[in-house]
Amino acid sequence: MNLKVGDELPELVKHPTTRQLVQYAGAQGDFYEIHYDKDYAQSVGLPGVILHGLLKAAFLGQLVTDWLGDGGTLRAFEVSYRGIDQPGRPYRCRGKVTAANGANVDLEIWGEDPDGNRTTVGTATVEVKS
Amino acid sequence: MSTTTSVIDRLRARIGVDAPPTEAVVEAGHLKRFAEAIGDPNPRWLREAPPTFLVALAPVMLHLAEAEEYGKGWLNGGNRFEYLEPVRAGDRITATGHVADLYEKSGSSGSLLFIIFETAYTNQHGKLVARLRGTAIRR
Repeated sequence: MNLKVGDELPELVKHPTTRQLVQYAGAQGDFYEIHYDKDYAQSVGLPGVILHGLLKAAFLGQLVTDWLGDGGTLRAFEVSYRGIDQPGRPYRCRGKVTAANGANVDLEIWGEDPDGNRTTVGTATVEVKS
Repeated sequence: MSTTTSVIDRLRARIGVDAPPTEAVVEAGHLKRFAEAIGDPNPRWLREAPPTFLVALAPVMLHLAEAEEYGKGWLNGGNRFEYLEPVRAGDRITATGHVADLYEKSGSSGSLLFIIFETAYTNQHGKLVARLRGTAIRR
């Protein structure tokens, strides 16, 4: 892979639904009610059910592994959850190259809500094949 | 107030102390269900763990139930994954975690308790395969 600083990853748009949150709750084993029980979510001050942070992390993981393909290996991956996201709203995953030193490439990655707010921000380090 | 203080003291006493390890086998059916749940159709995930899969193998918050005495809800502040070896279907993974740090912050809507936890994952060959660091927030 011939990469340079500023290169953008092909964007990945996910369309989470409440059904997917239930599916994810089961697959991860995280049954915290804020992810599928609207009354409970509202009782703790949320506008409704919200996406699991780790589901958004999985979306950003897919952004990186789709782009990387067989061209390298994901070495590290870090995300901070800065805002909540609700099902029914598309989630846009984006990223760009911030450093490229030989095989080691650093990425800035983030997830945006439909209003353009970066509700998840992070970085990833990949090792690319020469 | 005394309850809040004591829960912080009790959790603080556990900083750096590993919780009992949990062990789980990476099952092909679980990988498939996880990949379907995150909506990632890459066939690679039928035999290999996708980047965030390890959180599904062992509870992420191994030892934080008593933190629920503080505030009324959990938030996930962030996660950091470090990968050393691939994890494949059939691997037997041992997860060992501990609280790494704990602090309180005042926010616009009241006080928050930040709990930093770290988990190390090793495989059946005793090799460290991944590390996870996470920030759980009580509000």
